[in-house]
Amino acid sequence: MKKYLITALIPFLTATASEVDELKKQLEKQQQIIQQLQEKVKQLQDQQEILQQTRGKLQNVDGRDPFEKMLSNPFSQAKFVPDISLLLDFSYVSRNLTDDTYKQVQIPGFNHGLFHSHDGHEGEGPYNPERGFNLNYAHLYIAQTVDPYFDLVGIFHLRESAFEIEEAYIKTRQLPYNLGLKLGKFYSKFGRLNEKHHHYWDFVDAPLIYYSIFGPHNLLEKGSQLTWLAPTPFFLQFGLEILQGDNENNFNRNGFTVNTKQNGSGDNIKISDTKKPNLYVFYVKPSFDIGNVSILSGLSYAQGGTRIDHLTDDTPHAISGTTKIYGADLTVRYNIDSYRYITWQSEYIYRKFDGTRYGYNNVGNLITPSLEKKQGGFYSQVVYKFDQRWRTGVRYDLINKNDVILNGVNQNQPDNLYRYSFMIDFLPSEFSRIRLQYNYDKSLFLENERKPNQEIILQFNIAIGAHGAHGF
Amino acid sequence: MKKFVFLILTFITVIGSAKAQLKVVTTYPYIASITKEIVKDKAKVDYLASGNLDPHFVVPKPSLSVKLRDADLLIINGVSLEIGWLPPLLNQANNGKIQPSSSGFLDLSLFVKLIQKPESVSRAMGDVHPEGNPHFHLDPYNIPLLSDAITSKLCKLDSQNCQFYQDNNKTFKARWNEKIKQWNTSMEKVKGVKVVEYHKLFDYFLNRYQMVVAGTIEPLPGIPPTAKHLENLIQTIKTEKVSLILQDVYHPLKPAQFLSEKTSVKYVILPHDVGAVSEAKDIFSLFDEIVKRITND
Repeated sequence: MKKYLITALIPFLTATASEVDELKKQLEKQQQIIQQLQEKVKQLQDQQEILQQTRGKLQNVDGRDPFEKMLSNPFSQAKFVPDISLLLDFSYVSRNLTDDTYKQVQIPGFNHGLFHSHDGHEGEGPYNPERGFNLNYAHLYIAQTVDPYFDLVGIFHLRESAFEIEEAYIKTRQLPYNLGLKLGKFYSKFGRLNEKHHHYWDFVDAPLIYYSIFGPHNLLEKGSQLTWLAPTPFFLQFGLEILQGDNENNFNRNGFTVNTKQNGSGDNIKISDTKKPNLYVFYVKPSFDIGNVSILSGLSYAQGGTRIDHLTDDTPHAISGTTKIYGADLTVRYNIDSYRYITWQSEYIYRKFDGTRYGYNNVGNLITPSLEKKQGGFYSQVVYKFDQRWRTGVRYDLINKNDVILNGVNQNQPDNLYRYSFMIDFLPSEFSRIRLQYNYDKSLFLENERKPNQEIILQFNIAIGAHGAHGF
Repeated sequence: MKKFVFLILTFITVIGSAKAQLKVVTTYPYIASITKEIVKDKAKVDYLASGNLDPHFVVPKPSLSVKLRDADLLIINGVSLEIGWLPPLLNQANNGKIQPSSSGFLDLSLFVKLIQKPESVSRAMGDVHPEGNPHFHLDPYNIPLLSDAITSKLCKLDSQNCQFYQDNNKTFKARWNEKIKQWNTSMEKVKGVKVVEYHKLFDYFLNRYQMVVAGTIEPLPGIPPTAKHLENLIQTIKTEKVSLILQDVYHPLKPAQFLSEKTSVKYVILPHDVGAVSEAKDIFSLFDEIVKRITND
């Protein structure tokens, strides 16, 4: 009997099961419909709200025509304001050389005084020229993407009596084959430090060899730069720069006229301009990582025509010829954690000049001996960031080759020019830095007498606004 | 000279045309992990920043430019998290395909709702992000939004494999939603619990599970704690009855240890990204580990 009942129930049970499925499906459908309806209601509510807002705007409350109250500014481009930042470099200097002496000392064989000033030419001085307070510059940075093809960067140095275009260049965004082209005025990528702005240096001042060879502004030139990241498994960058050649220590390109007699009674000899552009720079920079250690090295070469005209000086002279500069650099950085690192950075730079010196002998007749300069030196520094907000560093500078050869005779310039530097800096935030630096400098001479210089510099480096990030 | 240039150009062309597989580079490992779930073996996925370091301060090592040089797609977190280190790398890589606004560029922050957007900004408030809190990936409910965005982008760049990517994304999301259910159950017991964290790093996660942030160890974003601030924080921990101190893997541990000693409130080290701790191997185990550590299971 039981068996019979169960068998009879089976079709009934299966029927209910399929009905439940059907019900489930219907329920799902209804849920979907409810959801759709809810969405519609929400849309309607939103529309209603907008409608009410519009009505509110059009209501004539204070007796003024509602259309007059609706301000429109259809031509505003406020949203296209570029990134702008202002960076201040301010310092306090204590120095054992008096300001008068400091203005006269020179690095023998290299420059006519640190300030490179002579008659008719007021050169650009070094940073922190005076004892006491110095406002080195306010650095104004303006940059934005121009269009899909270019970025534009402008960097201006405002000094108390000058407004300088430090850099102004465009860079391509979309060149094929990992090529990048820069056009305008910019710091050459020669060497390791040259491209970096002063406010991003690890020390207040440039290494001796940089200052001696390139002057206070490093190699800052107008022209073009092509970089290429080679398709190698490690970082390998090649760069070629064709530059106008403005660096007044090496590549001045304008010719001059020299008279065969110092008093001007003789014949004029015209030394033509160099070809323009005048300066070619080439470099290769490989880099690779070993664990937490990053290594970046580089070889650089610069070559250009030289025309230096000091004919209006007390001892009139001028030189004409070709300068070649070689550089080798190595940076090793060990990253300890997110906030701490140790960096060892060294660079060697060698300059070779070949040409003619134009000057006058005792009786005022023009003499034109051949002039050859072979000069080289390096710096080596260690910077240790030992805390999120603290860094310290030491640097050793040495110029160990200083041959100035006139008519085959070496002038025996001092070739043991050196300096020790120590710094400690505190970074209250990413946007400010206070640095204390001590220098013991044995590179400065006044009339063949070495003038040891000791200085303590307290530097304030403060930035506001939107500043572009710095590279490695 | 002409011959030399010609040789170089031929060399570049040969190497340039050798590319076949899609190359994706992401800024952070968590993005790479999600992307791998979608592309499987159809694309190469690499990332730039280490998961165990501060995501705000990545060293722009030249070697990172090499990864960017070859990329067909760059996926970033956005909300200014990469602003301090990515632009110079992009600039150096000279890769037109992955510039912002190019087709091979994806900013994930555009696909989620950001919290803590300041009404006004001043750097007197520390290193604030004007767009809001950038650590949105720590809300598990945001992950499917991100995987959808990545899938759509991949479909645009590699339409041949689109179906494959969409299927993988579907599977991934199904697995993810299962996981969310587990995490929701586990996190039930810490609902309403008050915590202190070092940086506003875990807020999306804590908001999701209704945990309350009573204070941060750093007084302002990016500014290390002072003795006075820690004293105040001890008071807060006591009066607000905070029961857990959350520490990330990259900030100094000392302040958390100090607070823990003074208040006898436990501290726990939480991973914030894939690779932050050895257990956080991918996006799944990252959240597994956070949940495990926070619930002390």
